[in-house]
Amino acid sequence: MKLRRILAATTATAAMTVAGMAAAETMTIGITQNNVGVDSYQTTYEKAFIAAAEANADVEVVVLDAGGDVARQIAQMEDLIQQEVDAIIIWPTNGEAVIPAVRKAHQAGIPVVVTNSNIAEAGFPFVSTFSGPDNITQGARSAEIMCDRFKALGIENEAKVVHITGQPGYTTAIERAKGFNDRLPEVCPNVEQIDEQPGDWNREKSQQVMEAFLVKYDDIDGVYSGDDNMGVGAMNAAIAAGREGITFVGATNFAVGYEAMAAGTYWGSIYQSPVDDAEAALKSAIDLLNGEELPFLNYFDTPKITQDNMGDFTKPVF
Amino acid sequence: MQVGKLSKYLAGGAIWGFIVLELIFFSVAGEFFSVSDKAFMDADNMLLLLKQSAPIGIIAMGMTIVMVNGNIDLSVGAIYAICAIILLDSMTWTMFAGLGNWVIPVAWCLALLTGLVLGAINGLIVWKTGVDAFIVTLGSMLGYRGLVFMYNGEQPTSHLNWTLVDFAEAQFLGLHTATWFLLVVTVAIWFLMNRTVHGRNAYAIGNNREAAVNAGIRVGPHMMINFMIIGFLAALSAVVFYSESGSVNPNDGQLYELWVITAVVLGGTKLTGGAGSIVSTFGGVIAIQLLRKGLAHIGADTSTVNLVIGLILIAVLFLDRQLNVKGKEELKV
Repeated sequence: MKLRRILAATTATAAMTVAGMAAAETMTIGITQNNVGVDSYQTTYEKAFIAAAEANADVEVVVLDAGGDVARQIAQMEDLIQQEVDAIIIWPTNGEAVIPAVRKAHQAGIPVVVTNSNIAEAGFPFVSTFSGPDNITQGARSAEIMCDRFKALGIENEAKVVHITGQPGYTTAIERAKGFNDRLPEVCPNVEQIDEQPGDWNREKSQQVMEAFLVKYDDIDGVYSGDDNMGVGAMNAAIAAGREGITFVGATNFAVGYEAMAAGTYWGSIYQSPVDDAEAALKSAIDLLNGEELPFLNYFDTPKITQDNMGDFTKPVF
Repeated sequence: MQVGKLSKYLAGGAIWGFIVLELIFFSVAGEFFSVSDKAFMDADNMLLLLKQSAPIGIIAMGMTIVMVNGNIDLSVGAIYAICAIILLDSMTWTMFAGLGNWVIPVAWCLALLTGLVLGAINGLIVWKTGVDAFIVTLGSMLGYRGLVFMYNGEQPTSHLNWTLVDFAEAQFLGLHTATWFLLVVTVAIWFLMNRTVHGRNAYAIGNNREAAVNAGIRVGPHMMINFMIIGFLAALSAVVFYSESGSVNPNDGQLYELWVITAVVLGGTKLTGGAGSIVSTFGGVIAIQLLRKGLAHIGADTSTVNLVIGLILIAVLFLDRQLNVKGKEELKV
């Protein structure tokens, strides 16, 4: 008799707790970003993330910035775990150094979403999902843009291409280069890539690399750069040297790239919006908390942009 | 005499008063601004605070001795990065392949030895050339950072060893491994400064170098030993931190020298040397981490944190000066 009463009481309490939780239903999501303010992509990302969170009444966010400092990011992960947030979004400052911190969150039962650039494979078991751009597809699409342009110009059987990659060792750089290098021979088998050098995501470095290419090779028809920042550097080198008729294709359309496309000196790129990036990350976290099954690699779409269709896109703010 | 003592106590105790003030402020503000339901003064949060203070705190103890000496060491951030690379990279060297997990203590010793040697180089140059420590360590800061980039270019050096991570994440008697290191270093350096001849000489040299020379203290070797201590502690800080995170970026540890100096100065150590206390430095370290943690807790962004720390540093120095000037004036009467 007594036992039954206790059981009933417990069930009632449990039911009330569940009901209470359902009524509140606000989820707290913490984010620790890489380095807001270092470039406008990251700054725009943060703004878009906060705006998206404010638009959703069910979500409260703790927005943190590691300032590029691994130690601070790890401390922020620990703080978020200690505050018992419902989910953590991390933009890793270093794809390997944060793995133990991610494991800690995983052990505490907090789902982790990695945003923008993924952590190293050793950390995959502790991550719920990755939300970000598909860099291999981006590279492949750049190859398609390049090839289509060559076909339009009628030089798809003789064109020669040089390739400026991002910083060596960075996943984004490696993946984009792989996507481009794999796809180009498939769509344009007769186009030859004559050289590939790193431009370290840096416009000046890329300009120097291109200057060297221009001296070395008399015939260059296309330049693929790992992002528009480097692409514009390469383009400036070509303009300074008075070399015309080169097709410049990049990735991550920057404002400078967009302007150069409008001016007709730059051909195409991949449109990657920090707003989409931020919204995709927040949505992934919310979907996870709502119990939805997400693919491990949860990409958001990054479409092709060229001089032909650039009117469909607004100018990037970064 | 009484008044002089009082102002000294005020100056020495100011940092702890400040910490109490911070705790009260963030606890109250946290109730309103934080989205977390947990109190700021939550025991786990305070334990994390100690742990997160460790990387800066361990180096700050060494910096206190060097600054009491009237010197400064700007190269600690670069030494920290080099030692981190040695620690992680040496675990993958083929000559240690047969050691299994015994490679961990070997890697630790190598990293600590590196710090000791780099510190000794600083000390030797200061000793033998007589050039100001600020200039010497400014040079070595750039030079050591150059070595970091030469080692692996712009790429991170990585090696993840889960045994090591588990050790670093362990909690003994409730305190994290890093906290234990911080506490042991604090006690050891406190003992060195307050209970040994070396410590007494450090104050004497900082107060009046010429008088110290006349008193027969061998100033050069003394300073070199202090630079070796801070080099060792910078390495220890790297060992403690990178045991838990298996990868070092080539720009890791940048600006650490400034955070360390900020903590030491906040704790009341004079830039001119001759005065300073290990316990107050510990307070300075806690105060900075508390500020960072607290401002993040109530939702301020990183730039605000830096602004506030800067303002507080200037305010503390101003307050300190006022108190000291008053103390001296009263003594004259």
